[in-house]
Amino acid sequence: MLATVPAEDGGPAAALPWEGSSLLRRLLRQLEDLEILQVSVVTRPGWERVLEPAVAGLGPGVRLQASPGVSEDLRTVAEIARDATGPIVVVHGEIVTHREALAGLLVGPKMVTGVLSRHGGVPAHLAPRTRSTSGRVMSASSPYHATGRPNTSLLGVLKVGERDRPALVEVAERLASLVEPPLPPRWEEELQRKLSRWRTSLADDGAGHGDGNGSAKRSGERDGGHALMQAGELAEAPEPDEPEDATADLVLSPEGEAEAAQRLTILREDAVSLLLVGLVRADVHVANSFLRALFWSRPQSRAAAQDTAHQMEGYDEDSVLLDSAVKASDGFFTTFFVSPYSRYIARWAARRGLTPNQVTTVSMAIGVLAAAAFATGSRPGLVAGAVLLQAAFTADCVDGQLARYTRTFSKLGAWLDSIFDRAKEYVVFAGLAIGASRGFGDDVWALAVTAMTLQTARHMADFAFGATQQHVVASEARPPVEEPGDGVALRRAVPPALSTSPPDAGGGAGPASVADRTGPPSPPLVAAEPAADVPAKPAPPLARRIVGGTARRAIAVSRALERWRPTHWLKKILVFPIGERFAVISLAAALTTPRTTFVVVLAWGAFATLYTLAGRSIRSLSG
Amino acid sequence: MTAAAATPGASSVSRSQRDAYRDDGPLARGLGRAFGPVSPLPAAALTLLSPLPSIALLALEGDAVSEVALGAAVAWSVLAGGVANGRPDWGRFGWVVPPLLRLLEYGTLLALAVVAGPPAVSHCFALVGALAFHHYDSVYRLRHQGSPPPAWLSIAGGGWDGRLVVAYVLLVTGALSTGLLAGAIVLGIVYVAESAVSWLRFGQAQRPALYDDEEDEDD
Repeated sequence: MLATVPAEDGGPAAALPWEGSSLLRRLLRQLEDLEILQVSVVTRPGWERVLEPAVAGLGPGVRLQASPGVSEDLRTVAEIARDATGPIVVVHGEIVTHREALAGLLVGPKMVTGVLSRHGGVPAHLAPRTRSTSGRVMSASSPYHATGRPNTSLLGVLKVGERDRPALVEVAERLASLVEPPLPPRWEEELQRKLSRWRTSLADDGAGHGDGNGSAKRSGERDGGHALMQAGELAEAPEPDEPEDATADLVLSPEGEAEAAQRLTILREDAVSLLLVGLVRADVHVANSFLRALFWSRPQSRAAAQDTAHQMEGYDEDSVLLDSAVKASDGFFTTFFVSPYSRYIARWAARRGLTPNQVTTVSMAIGVLAAAAFATGSRPGLVAGAVLLQAAFTADCVDGQLARYTRTFSKLGAWLDSIFDRAKEYVVFAGLAIGASRGFGDDVWALAVTAMTLQTARHMADFAFGATQQHVVASEARPPVEEPGDGVALRRAVPPALSTSPPDAGGGAGPASVADRTGPPSPPLVAAEPAADVPAKPAPPLARRIVGGTARRAIAVSRALERWRPTHWLKKILVFPIGERFAVISLAAALTTPRTTFVVVLAWGAFATLYTLAGRSIRSLSG
Repeated sequence: MTAAAATPGASSVSRSQRDAYRDDGPLARGLGRAFGPVSPLPAAALTLLSPLPSIALLALEGDAVSEVALGAAVAWSVLAGGVANGRPDWGRFGWVVPPLLRLLEYGTLLALAVVAGPPAVSHCFALVGALAFHHYDSVYRLRHQGSPPPAWLSIAGGGWDGRLVVAYVLLVTGALSTGLLAGAIVLGIVYVAESAVSWLRFGQAQRPALYDDEEDEDD
């Protein structure tokens, strides 16, 4: 645990008061509750006395030790990691969050190595930006490292599992020697670049407070560097777009200067972000444990700590937890017609002590009953089948929510859930086909086979496309930790051969920062600097560039539609996810015939196939 | 991971992952080894071409199609789909291959069953159900256990290629309906039993999930 950041009053931020004790003691108690008993609190010389009360009486495993600087902090981490058995957690001592947010990362077998993070931006000096794909951290920023196209933020908690402990030792030692002066080339420039960016935004704000993007949530910063995260707040906080050189002769108000200086200090002390950069660059698989709707804050002043306490009082942790148990990426029908009540069934099941696997099995059993009812072929049977299928689907949503709510994840459970989902659907198809021949004298087996074939092929396309994306992600070039830039700009704009060249040949803060601002960079802009000592590659053929460009524009339009709620949900409905499929089957079977049911399912499925196929082809062409 | 691996077009998904997604039998593997390296077309294009003769034949002739013509179409499917196994690159459009192979296999089985007559179609549903279990199981086990089903299973199952050849032979000998049902029962038992055993053996190994459940759980 790192209690190394100074608060506004000059003492450690971790010692800020909290309900009669301190932020640090609150966090230590939470860790104790999660059975993390060996804790080394690393602080700066002279602060031990202030922190004594926070660690007093917490058990023999909690130690306080002083370290003169970030380099020594990192060495301490390396030492602890070398001798430890089991996972290592590195965390800022002044972090205020719910126990469950920590538990999601620290407890449970799902997460080997991971970070607490959230989507979108938080003031970057408190929660450095990261870029994640499919839940994995692909690039991270630190005082000296930049991230291109960030979409997530690091919330100051890093867990390294047993598997990656040797990597942590190596990374921590390497970084410890790198952060000792003299810094590697361009590191200080990267830090100054961040500083000038803040100065610009502080200056824009006139008063020298806040972030200047007009977001009400940012007003908390006025209290001296303090970020609040609230339920449902998902707004991206983009970095300002000003060109760098414009900040050189900025004059800030004294408050603005003080704010900029404090941010710089906080960032300079950030060993957690440095370790994350090191691990990511060393190709360690670091997963995200998302905060979801829970609360997180990193107060840096007395006022901010008070404000945080006030904010947290208004939190019904259980209801937030229950909300968080609902999968964020569910379809329209599931989100609006099932989850609103299934979460309460999940809570009820949790209180009754039911396990997710039991609920999954019950769901499958109800699905088989639904199929049997369909197989009677009578109208009452079809109606009963429709109702039972919806009951089975509700139970299917409950199992996942129960698992997330009670954090009982298992690999077998995940497999069982997926397999039973498929089995339910196909058993129902069989039931409908039997019902058609018994009740309607209609042979629809060929339609049933077609429906199963189409749905299986659609899933296989999802899996294979996902695997391709995963692979692209895994093989993304990772520059060495000495390099401030993450190479994202290079990879896109310049022929790939460049990214294999030594760091000095090109890249770095310059081009990366350009890409940060302009999105997909135009080749001449980026090529200007790094192309110097690299043999020029022939440009791709014009036709290819046009196709790629058009495809990228189409993707941009699609992303824009994603942000607007009605089109966001329309897109989700069009792809015909499981909730919609089961709803259509129930409705059509209850009101019409099995044949019509299959025709509707096939028609919508075929349309969805073409729609996703078009989207993915465009993405494949743009890559 | 080296930067060179990021070269566009060379983005190849791991061999075991690709094999699990494809479900090739010995026949397709042999064809792939023999002709894959000399094929001018990438895997996606080959697989896209493989069902075309069957589709054209059924569109033109319906279930009055001659057995010889159907045999030639099935042989072409196995040849084209099998050669695709030997193409070294997964490629930009490689992700279309697994779904196309499922469409090819299930679709051809359905076509053969329709030609054979009504009872065969419901038996075909049973067989496709057993196969679908195996194909989903392969993907989900790769995802949750970190490893695909063992190699012997793809040989025992015959692969999509082997099953198509056997189904055609059964059609010609007039035993397709019984054969589909028998295949459904035998393969269903083997696939489910093997998967159950694998879960019994699966410990709590610390492996990173290939996918994050949170982000892209399929629906």
